[in-house]
Amino acid sequence: MTGLPPPNAGGTPPTGALPPPTVGVVPPAPPALSGMIAVNAVSKFFGSVVAVSDVSFAIDQGVTALLGPNGAGKSTLFRILCGLTPPSRGTVDVLGANPRTDRDVRGRVSLVPQQDALFDHLSAGEFLELAARTHGMADPDGAARRALELVDLTHVGTKAVGEFSKGMRQRVKVAAALVNDPEVLILDEPLTGLDPVQRRHMIALFHRLGDQGRCVLVSSHVLDEVAKIGSRVLVIAQGRLVATGDYRDLRELMDDRAHRIRLATSDPRKLATALVERGLVSGLSIDERNVMVDTLDVDAFGRQVAALSVELGVRLTEVAPLDDDLESVFRYLVEGR
Amino acid sequence: MSAVPAADRARRHVAAAAAIALSYQVVLRQLTSRSRIIGLSLLALVAPVSAFALGSSDPSLDDAVRLIASVGLGLVLPVVALVFAGAAIGDLREDKTLVYLWLRPMDRWPIVLGAALAAGTLAAPITIVPIVAAAALTGAGNGIVLATLLATIVGLVAYVAVFTLFGVWLKRFIVWGLAYILIWEGFIAQAGAGVARIALRKYTRSILVDRTGADLDLADFSLAMAVITPVVVAVLAIAVASWRLANQDVD
Repeated sequence: MTGLPPPNAGGTPPTGALPPPTVGVVPPAPPALSGMIAVNAVSKFFGSVVAVSDVSFAIDQGVTALLGPNGAGKSTLFRILCGLTPPSRGTVDVLGANPRTDRDVRGRVSLVPQQDALFDHLSAGEFLELAARTHGMADPDGAARRALELVDLTHVGTKAVGEFSKGMRQRVKVAAALVNDPEVLILDEPLTGLDPVQRRHMIALFHRLGDQGRCVLVSSHVLDEVAKIGSRVLVIAQGRLVATGDYRDLRELMDDRAHRIRLATSDPRKLATALVERGLVSGLSIDERNVMVDTLDVDAFGRQVAALSVELGVRLTEVAPLDDDLESVFRYLVEGR
Repeated sequence: MSAVPAADRARRHVAAAAAIALSYQVVLRQLTSRSRIIGLSLLALVAPVSAFALGSSDPSLDDAVRLIASVGLGLVLPVVALVFAGAAIGDLREDKTLVYLWLRPMDRWPIVLGAALAAGTLAAPITIVPIVAAAALTGAGNGIVLATLLATIVGLVAYVAVFTLFGVWLKRFIVWGLAYILIWEGFIAQAGAGVARIALRKYTRSILVDRTGADLDLADFSLAMAVITPVVVAVLAIAVASWRLANQDVD
């Protein structure tokens, strides 16, 4: 990943009781990033809606994961990278060319779109052969056959893709994107609908393609998928690039941040007082039945809270983590809470 | 994947003729729906059925030409052209398969031209055969048959191109197309010669009048004008549609 700010660079600590993110919070965009994909200060507006806001990054060969919740702007960013829609502001270079206007660069880039649209009346082989022809391949039959082999679909025969399962259609889309032997491969949620075996197969394929010197950019909204897809991640939320760097840094960030937990109890006030006295929480609030706590050491908290409630004679009916999901990670990265 | 031959890894693009053929092939398959063809064929039968009814009452040439101009060239021809040509790119855009042509190393005009040719291929038999048959069934002579053939071909070329543009540009291309056919050409353009100049119907009517000598309102262009202008409109429509396709957002 070239031109990326290093982790921990230039982040402004968020206000509030929680520690700031430690993964590279994006500083002001440096001028003229370069790479196989170079995105410089790109924004995209749809009327008054900001879909992508001042995003800058550059990536080169290898696999990079774009992580973000649904509606974060991943697909819009991918559409910009492929030239399907122009940025409202900023510039995009793919293999040194503008993908919106440069006809020839489209032959060197492939997209697996998120939408489940195929020419349903065609067989997988016919669809891939058509894809190869529309890429101007000299041997469309051979290209289609090779692509089918890569996604393990050689056995499907002449069955129309309209009769395929969701997972098989997804593999056809990936194969169609590989048929032109692209230097840049952009995949929008490519693992959707695949079973675990096919997911592993597909992720291994992405890594092989990256190892061959291609630039492979894969989006996902599932954190565990990203852990397997690539060690390099771009995190996007609310249209903004909120973190870049190594996946392990992001994982550590998740483990290091304060966790919010709801305790349903017969005596919230008594339990809350004891938790503060034992130093198990960094913040809390209570209502008639619950104690909401913030804790930096979720493991220690988990070990001690049950014993503490027994010791106090307080009935503990539920311990529910409130932020053990991707949304909360993004919220933390964006807002520091 | 590295097994791809080096020759195929070179920079490449698709030549215009090949791109036209590919677009034609894709769109033809997409447009070929049994229900659409049957429905439009039934609509097209209105022309010969009406002509047969008229022909049985020994009509005048003017009555025969008026029937062909109103039912054949004013209804069947534009509606059939709209359904096929509007859907040529419009359906690809709406079902989000346009990306499989758009994201390819090919120019935009061959995609539009190939799509329009595919629409024309399907629309031609469904319009030309019944409308020309209708002209013959009026029993008004060979003159009206040849005039109808020429007017239908010229009109088909223009309508297909214009409605292909509608499909590229407009989300509800069927609604806009019907509004153009029924409200603009069928109503507003009847109000005067100035407005009628921007209605394709006036040109096809002019061909009929020029070749038969019938007396028909709003049909006073010369044959050359009535043939050349729709062809120019068709070329411009394809050019604008190509520009639009290159510059619009694609899902």
